[in-house]
Amino acid sequence: MAATDRRPRRWRVDQQKITGIVLLAIVGVLVLGPLAVLLRASVAPPNTMPLETWAVTFSNFKAIFEHPATPTIIGNTLLYAAGSVGIGVAIATFIAWLTERTDMPGQALIRVMMFAWMAVPPLVIGFGWILLINPGNGALNVLARNLFGVQGALFTIYSFWSLILITALSVVPTAYVMIAGLLRNMDPQMESAARVLGGGRFAVARRITLPLLTPGLFSIGIYMVMAVVQAFDLPLIIGLTAKIPVMSTRVFLLSVPDNGIPNYSLSSAFGVVLLAIAVVLMWLYFRAIRTGEKFRTVTGRGFRPKPAVLGALRWPAFTAAMLYFAIMALPVLMLAWTSLFPFYRLPSLEALPLASLANFHRVLDSALVQRALVNTVLLVVLSASVVMLLSALVAWFSVRGGGLLGRVLDVMSFAPTAVPPVVMVMAILILYIKTPLYGTVWVLIIGHLTIYIAFGTRTMTSALIQIHKELGDAAMISGASWATSLRKVILPLVWPQVANGWLWVAAHSARDLTIPLVLMTTNNVVIASVVYTMWDFPDVPGAAAVSFLLVAALLVVVVPVQLLASRASTRG
Amino acid sequence: MLAVRDLTKTFPARHDNGAVRALRGVSFDIADGDFFALLGPSGCGKTTMLQSIAGLETPDSGEIAMGDTVVYASAGGINIPANRRQLGMVFQSYAIWPHMTVFDNVAFPLAHGERKTGKAEIAERVKRALDLVKLGAFADRLAPHLSGGQQQRVALARALVHEPRLLLLDEPLSNLDAKLRDTMRIELRQLVKSLGITTLFVTHDQVEAMGMSDKLALMRDGVIVQQGTPQDIYLRPESAFAADFMGRSNLVAGRVNGNGAMVDVETPIGTIRCPAAATDLNDGIVVIRPQAVRLHGPGIGGQNCYAGTVEQVSFLGDVVEGEVRVGAGLLKIVVDPYRQVAPGQTVTVELPPERCVLVPPDSGSLP
Ligand SMILES: Nc1ncnc2c1ncn2[C@@H]1O[C@H](COP(=O)(O)OP(=O)(O)OP(=O)(O)O)[C@@H](O)[C@H]1O
Ligand SMILES: [Mg+2]
Repeated sequence: MAATDRRPRRWRVDQQKITGIVLLAIVGVLVLGPLAVLLRASVAPPNTMPLETWAVTFSNFKAIFEHPATPTIIGNTLLYAAGSVGIGVAIATFIAWLTERTDMPGQALIRVMMFAWMAVPPLVIGFGWILLINPGNGALNVLARNLFGVQGALFTIYSFWSLILITALSVVPTAYVMIAGLLRNMDPQMESAARVLGGGRFAVARRITLPLLTPGLFSIGIYMVMAVVQAFDLPLIIGLTAKIPVMSTRVFLLSVPDNGIPNYSLSSAFGVVLLAIAVVLMWLYFRAIRTGEKFRTVTGRGFRPKPAVLGALRWPAFTAAMLYFAIMALPVLMLAWTSLFPFYRLPSLEALPLASLANFHRVLDSALVQRALVNTVLLVVLSASVVMLLSALVAWFSVRGGGLLGRVLDVMSFAPTAVPPVVMVMAILILYIKTPLYGTVWVLIIGHLTIYIAFGTRTMTSALIQIHKELGDAAMISGASWATSLRKVILPLVWPQVANGWLWVAAHSARDLTIPLVLMTTNNVVIASVVYTMWDFPDVPGAAAVSFLLVAALLVVVVPVQLLASRASTRG
Repeated sequence: MLAVRDLTKTFPARHDNGAVRALRGVSFDIADGDFFALLGPSGCGKTTMLQSIAGLETPDSGEIAMGDTVVYASAGGINIPANRRQLGMVFQSYAIWPHMTVFDNVAFPLAHGERKTGKAEIAERVKRALDLVKLGAFADRLAPHLSGGQQQRVALARALVHEPRLLLLDEPLSNLDAKLRDTMRIELRQLVKSLGITTLFVTHDQVEAMGMSDKLALMRDGVIVQQGTPQDIYLRPESAFAADFMGRSNLVAGRVNGNGAMVDVETPIGTIRCPAAATDLNDGIVVIRPQAVRLHGPGIGGQNCYAGTVEQVSFLGDVVEGEVRVGAGLLKIVVDPYRQVAPGQTVTVELPPERCVLVPPDSGSLP
C-alpha cells in the first residue's frame, strides 16, 4: 500500500464542524436577530428608535390593552381566520375526496390545476375581485343591474363576508394539497370493513371516514388558521377600505403609516401579541398532530384504495369541482380584460375592438417596472437558491449530524413559522434601517430567507429522513470527504425534493407583498410592490397589465413542472 | 491487526427512554488475515462496536488501533475520521447507491477516496473487483435493477476494490433467502480468505458465526462474555448464556459436591459426575448438548447412567429430536433417523462425564 506519499489534508477533518458553525451563525443572525429586536422594541418608550435607547417600559402593552379598539381587532382577526378556514377547508375536503376516493373523471387535471393555482398571488386575486364586485362599477354588479334591474349593488367587496369568502377561496389549494395527502394515506380497509359489516355508503362516510379523518383535518385546520392570522395582502387591499382592521394590518399601519411618523415600539408590542397568538396556535397544532399519530392508519404497499362509485353523479361532481376553478378564474380574467384598455371599461362585446396591448408596452417601457423586473429576478432566484442551500445543510445536521448543534439548528430554523411575516419584516426594518443594506434588494432577500427557511428545512428534513443513513456512511467509508459524500451521494438522491422546494420558495417569493412593501424604497421595488403602488396611484390598467404578466410568468414556470411531477407519480 | 481496548459507549437518555450503555469496556484482538465474528443477540451492541471501529460513531472511552496506527484513543484525543481509516465495509442494507451504475458504485472509493486514481487504472481495478464477485457482465446495470444477492456482491466489490486494511461486514447475509445464504456463506469466506484481508464480521446467527469464522467473540449487553475458536465456545462454554446461545442444550441446575478435578452435582435428574469448573462453586449448571447424550436400551448401569422414558419424538429427516423424562427432569436428545424411538419407550440415558460442562449459575442480564 503506497500510503506514505500522501499530503496531509488536515482541513478536511473539520469540514463538517466548520460548516456547522458557519451555518449556526447565519441562521442565528437571520432568525434570532429580528426576534431579539422585536422583543427589545416592544418595551422601548413610544416614538423612539428602539435601538438608540436603553429605557424599558411596558407602556406599549398597556396602551394596547387599554385601547378601546383592541378587542375588536382581536375579535376580527379570530373571526376572519375561523370563517375563511372553515369554508376553505370544507370546499377543499370535498374536492379532495372527489379526486382521491371516487371515480370522478378528470382527477389528474384537477390535481394539476390545484397545484398551479397555489402560484397565483392572493394580491392579484384581490384586485380582480375588487374590479368584479366593488359597489360602484364592479362588473358583476353592473351586469346584475342591467340584466335584472337590481337597484344599488348586489355584491360588495368591502364587507367582512367578502373578505372571508375571497380568503376562503384562496386557501383552498393549500388545504386541498394537505387533505388529499391525508386521504391517500388512510387505510381503506377500515372503510371496507364497515361496508362488509353492512354499513350504508353514507353511514360509513359519517361514522367511519369522517371520525378517522377528524384529527388530521383538525391539525390542517389549525395550520391554516395560523396562515390566515398571519395573512396580510387581502386584509390590506380589501379590509382597510372596508374598515375591518385585523392584527396584521394594524402592525403594518403602525410601522408604515400613510402619514405621520412610524411608531415602532407600539407596532412591536402588537407584533409580540400577534406572535403570542401564533405560538398558541402552533402549540395546538403540534398537540393535534400528536393525537393524530395515535389514529394514524398506515397503509401497506401496493394497496390501491377502491374508489367510491359515483354513478350518475360523476359528471355533476366534475362540474362542481370545475365551478370552483371558474370562480377562481373570474378575477384573473377580469384583470386580463382591464389590462387591454387605457381606461377601466366594463366587459362587453362592443368594447372588444378597442382592445390593445398598449398598456403592456407602456409598463414594459417604464423604468420603474424594468427596475422591478431585475430586482424580482434577483430576489426570487437568490432567495430560492440560498434558502434551499441553507435548508439542505440544516436538515443534514438535524437528521444525520445528531447532537446539540443539529437540534439547535432545527429549532431555530423552524421558529419563523410562528412569526407572522408582517411582524418579522418590521423587526428586520428596525434592525437594518441604519445599515447600508436598507433600501437595497439584499434586505428583501434577507427577509425572504428568514421567512422561507422553515419551509425549506421541513421539506429537506423529510427528504433526508427517507435516505438510509448507510448510503452516506458507505461514501465516508469509501474514503470520500464529507463534502464529496454530500455532493456525490446525498444531493443526487434528494434532487427532486430540492427542485420542488426551490420552485415553491421561488413562487412564494415572487408573489409576496409583505416584505417588499414594508421595506420598499424607490430602489428596491419588485413586481409585487409595483403592482400595489400602481393600483394605489391609481393606474388600474397598468396594475392589471403587470399583474397579468406576473401570473403568466408564474404559471409558465410552475405548470410544466407540475405536469411532469404528476406524470412521474402516476407512472411510479 | 486490530486491537480494541476497554471501549465504552453510552447513548444519552432521550425523552422517552433512559440512557443505554451499548458498550461497557470491550476488548479484543484480531490477528492478521483472520476472519473474526462478533456474535450476540439483538441489541447487545454489535453494530455500535462495528460503527466505532469504522469511525461512524465516536466511543466515550477506550482505544482502537489498526496495525501500528491508533485510530481512536480517548486518552490522546485521537479520532481519525471514517474516510481516512482505509476500511472496506458491507452494510446490513448494502447501501448501494441507487442513482449510479454498478461500475460507478464500485469505482467510487477509487474516484473519490483518499488516494485519487487515474481513469485507466480505475477501469482496470473495477473490472477485477467485479470479476472477483462474478458480476463482470453487470457493470452498466443501474443498481436498483439487481437482485438481493447481486447487490450484496456489488457491496462486497465496492468494499474490496481499494484494498482496505480491514473489511467490516454488518450482518451481510441476513437479507438473503435461506438457500442463497448457505452458498454465500462459503463463497464469502473463501473470497476474503483468498485475498488475505483481515475481516470482522457481525451477526446474531450462531450457525453463520461458527461456519465462517476462525475466531469469534460472543457479546451480551455491551460486554464480551467469551471469545475463542468456534469449537472452543461450542464445546466448552463458560456460562449458561454462551451454552444456550451457541445451540440447543440441556441446562441442568444443581448443587456441587466435592472438590478436585471431578465433582458430583446433585440435580433433579440424579447425581451427575463432571469436570470441575474453573472456580469453586456451590451451585452450578451442567450443560449437556443433546448430541452428547447416549441412548441405550433399558436396564443398563454405569457412571452417569439414568433410567428414563421417552416423552416425545419429532422426526425432522436430517435428525430425530426427542425428549426423555429422567427422574424429575426432562432431557433433550438427538438421535439418528435410522434408530427406532417411540414415545413411552423406557430407555437408559448415559451422559459421558467428559461431555458435561459445569458452569456458574446464570447471573441474569447485567443491570
Ligand atoms: N443512536 C442511538 N441512540 C440511542 N440508543 C442507541 C442508538 N444506537 C443504538 N442504540 C442502543 O444501543 C444498544 C445497542 O445497539 P446496537 O445497534 O449496537 O445493537 P446490535 O447488537 O447491532 O443489535 P441488532 O442485532 O438488532 O442489530 C441497543 O439497546 C440500541 O437500542
Ligand atoms: Mg445491528
